[in-house]
Amino acid sequence: MRFGPVVAVDRVDYQLRRHEVAGILGSNGAGKTTFFNVLTGYYTPTEGRIFYQGRDITRLSPPQRVALGIARTFQLTSTFDNLSVLDNLVLAFFRSHCRPTTLGLLFKRCAAYRDHEAIIAALHQFDLHPIAARLACHLSLGEKRRMEIAMAVLADPELLLLDEPLAGLAESEIRGVLEVLRRQVGKQTILIVEHKISHVRDFLERLIVMHEGRIIAEGGYEECLNDPQVRKSYWQIDESSDNAG
Amino acid sequence: MTAAKSLASRALSWWWGIAATLLATSLCAVLLPTPFMNEVMIFAIYVSGCNFLIGRLGFISFGQPAYLAIGAYCTAFYLFYVGTNPLVGLGVGVLGGLLGAIIIGPFFVRLRSDYFAMVNLALAVVLFYVTQKLLVSITGGDNGLWFLTQMQSTPLLDLTAPAQFLWFAIIVATAVTVMFKYLDGTIFGACCLASRLNEDKLQFIGYDNFKIRLVAFIIANTVTALAGAMYAIYFGFVSPEMGSPSRAAEPVIVTLLGGVGTLAGPLIGAFAYTGMKDVISNLIGNWELFIGFLLVFIMLVADQGIWGTLPPAARALLVHLRRAAGRARN
Repeated sequence: MRFGPVVAVDRVDYQLRRHEVAGILGSNGAGKTTFFNVLTGYYTPTEGRIFYQGRDITRLSPPQRVALGIARTFQLTSTFDNLSVLDNLVLAFFRSHCRPTTLGLLFKRCAAYRDHEAIIAALHQFDLHPIAARLACHLSLGEKRRMEIAMAVLADPELLLLDEPLAGLAESEIRGVLEVLRRQVGKQTILIVEHKISHVRDFLERLIVMHEGRIIAEGGYEECLNDPQVRKSYWQIDESSDNAG
Repeated sequence: MTAAKSLASRALSWWWGIAATLLATSLCAVLLPTPFMNEVMIFAIYVSGCNFLIGRLGFISFGQPAYLAIGAYCTAFYLFYVGTNPLVGLGVGVLGGLLGAIIIGPFFVRLRSDYFAMVNLALAVVLFYVTQKLLVSITGGDNGLWFLTQMQSTPLLDLTAPAQFLWFAIIVATAVTVMFKYLDGTIFGACCLASRLNEDKLQFIGYDNFKIRLVAFIIANTVTALAGAMYAIYFGFVSPEMGSPSRAAEPVIVTLLGGVGTLAGPLIGAFAYTGMKDVISNLIGNWELFIGFLLVFIMLVADQGIWGTLPPAARALLVHLRRAAGRARN
């Protein structure tokens, strides 16, 4: 993926297995979010191909990818602030379960789905029921994160892409979000971009580390973090010079 | 049970709201001059489309006179060249507006809000030029098309009689309001609001933002064309002046004046604007200047518009009075 002279994602060759939970680590500007954006159709790659369940999805629009079962959250929480928590969830649920045409949306009332059992269950699962009627603009960051993940999960995706789900959260909020994520393990294929990688190490099966748009390490959690190249690029620990010294 | 009760009470309060507005409008129709009320009701329908675009999609359009003119000219062409039934003329106007929006929409709704405003203004300029200069043989140029005496009376409500036309206009305005209220409660209405604030997110939960905007654009401008068709029938005359770009800001101003995105806003705004215009133009010569200053003042004092400011202020006053009465009793 190229932006003028800058190559943001370079020759990334990566496969996810079904129901696997994988993480992406990298310093700021490593290309993690751009990689997410390419996967979800926000950007069309300048070169290369993306395959999902054997199908080339490189040219598909974001809604078409959602229809195939790919959902995502954003680094900066992205919700519909002028709608209630409940209506945010209704919109996420309705599209993936009812698959109507745009004209069909004219004949479906929000009220008919507000007490749908899947939505009520999501409200309880993500601890959103006390704030269901509140406008999203009045939520705390942690509540918004939980709601955003709830929206992604309600879409019942095969592949869930979480872009820094713990960013900006207090410890108590992190525990809440981790609890929610832990419940999704084994149900979906999950790819998490996260700086606070130690928080998610319990359920990570595989980690990749990106640096300057490229994958520089791939494997288990310990294996990746002990990789000399990762230590050098991510923590600026240059072991060769340490040894020489 | 509680949920059902609250739903029923909301529905009831909503229908009471519509009934109260209808009653107040009907009272005005009896008490106020018919030409004034006709103008208010058609103007309210005209502004409804603009209110939907701004309030739901966040799209300001300075091209509403173009869509008004499309509806008006389609009706005029039918009544001047083809037939005499105003109801059929109305249908032709609405159909013309619908087709126009379907053709223009795919190009315009791709644009960002600021470009959308300007490209619509450009459309109004083009259409004004076409009706005034380019198609003079068909449109009559500045002289316009007269067909007032060619229209036949219609059963039940005679649209050629201004007093009866007013009741028809009230019915149509009510139907338009009910339609927009209905849309607010649909998934489509929620999608429009969502698109206004976060179009990327809408795409990433699977909705086609372009199609949602297109359908909203078509609905809004078909309503605007309906207002154009009603103007044509009411006056029995159309001229390029109706779609003049110099009047492009009018529906936007009236939308802001009434209260953006509120259901009663278009009616309140149309009433206030037309009323101010009528009263002030009777008193002073340069009424536009005075109205301009008055509008600036109103919007500075009440940036939510009349309907966005007065009812909450009245509720707050009521609460304050109740508390004061409670304190006095204690």
